[in-house]
Amino acid sequence: MGSRTVDDAIDQLGDAESRPATVEEKNGGLLYILKEIHKDTSATIGLYIILFVTAVAVFTSVDYYLLDYAFAERFLYHPERDPTGGQRLLPPVGMESIYGPGVIEHPLGTDHRGRDILTRMIYGTRIAITAGFAATTIGLVGGTIIGAVSGYYGGRVDDVLQRFTEALYAIPFLVLIIAFMTAFGRDVTFAMVGVGIVSIPVFNRLIRSRVVSVREEEYIAAAKVAGAKDHQIILYHIIPNSFSPVLVQATLQIGVSILIIAGLSFLGFGAQPPTPSWGQMLAESRDFMLPAPMYSVWPGIAILITVIAFNLFGDGLQDALDPRTEN
Amino acid sequence: MSLLRYVGFRLVQSIPVLFIIILVTFLLTNRIPGDPVSIFLSPGAPPELVAEVQARYGLDRPLYERFFNYLLGVVQGDLGYSIHYGMPVTEKILERLPVTVFLTVCAFAFAISISVPLGVISAKRRNKPTDHISRIVSLIGVSTPSFWIGLLLIIFFSFYLGLFPATGLVLPWADPASIRGAETRIDVLLMSVHHAILPTIALGTLQMAQITRIERSSMVESLREDYVLLARAYGFPERTILRKHAFRVAQLPVLTIIGLGLSTALGGAVLIETVFEINGMGRLIIQAINNQDYELVMGTTIVFGITYIVGVIITDVLYAYVDPRVQYGGDS
Repeated sequence: MGSRTVDDAIDQLGDAESRPATVEEKNGGLLYILKEIHKDTSATIGLYIILFVTAVAVFTSVDYYLLDYAFAERFLYHPERDPTGGQRLLPPVGMESIYGPGVIEHPLGTDHRGRDILTRMIYGTRIAITAGFAATTIGLVGGTIIGAVSGYYGGRVDDVLQRFTEALYAIPFLVLIIAFMTAFGRDVTFAMVGVGIVSIPVFNRLIRSRVVSVREEEYIAAAKVAGAKDHQIILYHIIPNSFSPVLVQATLQIGVSILIIAGLSFLGFGAQPPTPSWGQMLAESRDFMLPAPMYSVWPGIAILITVIAFNLFGDGLQDALDPRTEN
Repeated sequence: MSLLRYVGFRLVQSIPVLFIIILVTFLLTNRIPGDPVSIFLSPGAPPELVAEVQARYGLDRPLYERFFNYLLGVVQGDLGYSIHYGMPVTEKILERLPVTVFLTVCAFAFAISISVPLGVISAKRRNKPTDHISRIVSLIGVSTPSFWIGLLLIIFFSFYLGLFPATGLVLPWADPASIRGAETRIDVLLMSVHHAILPTIALGTLQMAQITRIERSSMVESLREDYVLLARAYGFPERTILRKHAFRVAQLPVLTIIGLGLSTALGGAVLIETVFEINGMGRLIIQAINNQDYELVMGTTIVFGITYIVGVIITDVLYAYVDPRVQYGGDS
């Protein structure tokens, strides 16, 4: 049944040296997880990229909110304002097009309004990372609450909640978010909330299945006998016990959210111009694909690398947390 | 239970889900700022006129009554009237739905035909170069935005090489007379394939990558089963074991993923139809939103939901076909 007996526990006490890592150690130690990740080259690469991109996002956010792009203007270019006398649609350095040769001042070229593509790409990190993290957090919290309540109480509560999330999943999620954003607002804030809502079912299912299996464990019964209330049991016993699969799913979900947010911005639902975002840059580049094809290439590469990093790290995390998985 | 009864049973089962879809869509659309009154009349219109327009669109009734009326209409196949196109919503959607379904089916056909062999080979040669390549391909596949793949395909294959058209889609069953440049059925079919290739790849890549991942891990599991060991012990050739013993059971998780992927693919169709300027359901909903054509927005959203439900039922039926142990809704 999966629950350990006293005999097992005594056996394990016997040879503490040779025994495999226990569940507590696997779940508990952040250091342990990091060590495991470190052994895995691709996961380490993923982690470093995530740290780098997040640092860029934090830095650009500071520059945007507190400095009003002062840093960008001093060392790069203004990411939003059209430059005076700037050349539009310049190709990347080393290439040539009908708009002239690429120049070193704009290594990736300029967009249709003469703005530096590299600068806009760097400042687009802010939207992607914030939206990715925020949307996942909303889905995580919502899904955890619904899944935990649903799995713990079972019966009618379970039925109603599960039918509802099922229905939520039945509308193709991009369509649902678009409908949601049409009703509430086209801004990136609503994109985050929308993506968060559609990722609720993912976490709900995960937590619910964990809860259903944990619910019958002896220590839950013990906690009940000791007088713990329902919400305490859910909060202090059941949710912490589902920590590791949720962590893995959350990491992967950030990648998925970044993809959806980019798709939404591409359709015009998300960060509104002139705020730079990767999806919206791709949307703007569509009209110039023939004369300036590289304009459509760069933002996509930014999305690709970021999402790959989250997928690599998520996969590595899964291997590190679950001793049974071997690729 | 017979197949037909099972399908009927599943359809009845999805009624509550459908009801919630309609309710959510109705409430969302109802919240959209800007109603027919503000579209047809100037802000300073006399109150009698406002009242008249409101009465015509039933806006003077309470919310629950309007919802009930709408629901009654939906049950009868009436999704309302499109202000922008000047025709019933149902008619407009039936015109566009085949395009999206065709595109989605093509995408899955492409995805499955590549991912299944790739996954099997990958599982068979675990941790060999072929496996590594297939894993990298699927990693990139799940991490690339589909609409960006579309843009790159257009740039390279349409603009640079001039091999495929960059926009539009021709349905294979379209009337040759209605297609410019086509005279016979063969022409239409050729044009259809020619147009469909790029959008199919763009829409199918994500599915391809996801199915490859599942196919691989599912085959790895399946090849470890006792009956595979037994078959080996009996001395069956490896090829037979792979094909007859391991493959079939391993397809069940794959079908589940395909069912779940339907939602992604139908949503992805919105993006791909925008990139390739294909007049399907996805482009319809975006245009409807931009035209403030709200009954059409509602209708398209609901039909997207229905399409997904039907797709899931189809995969469930296939599930029972692939695994003889599963009976249609049976107790065993």
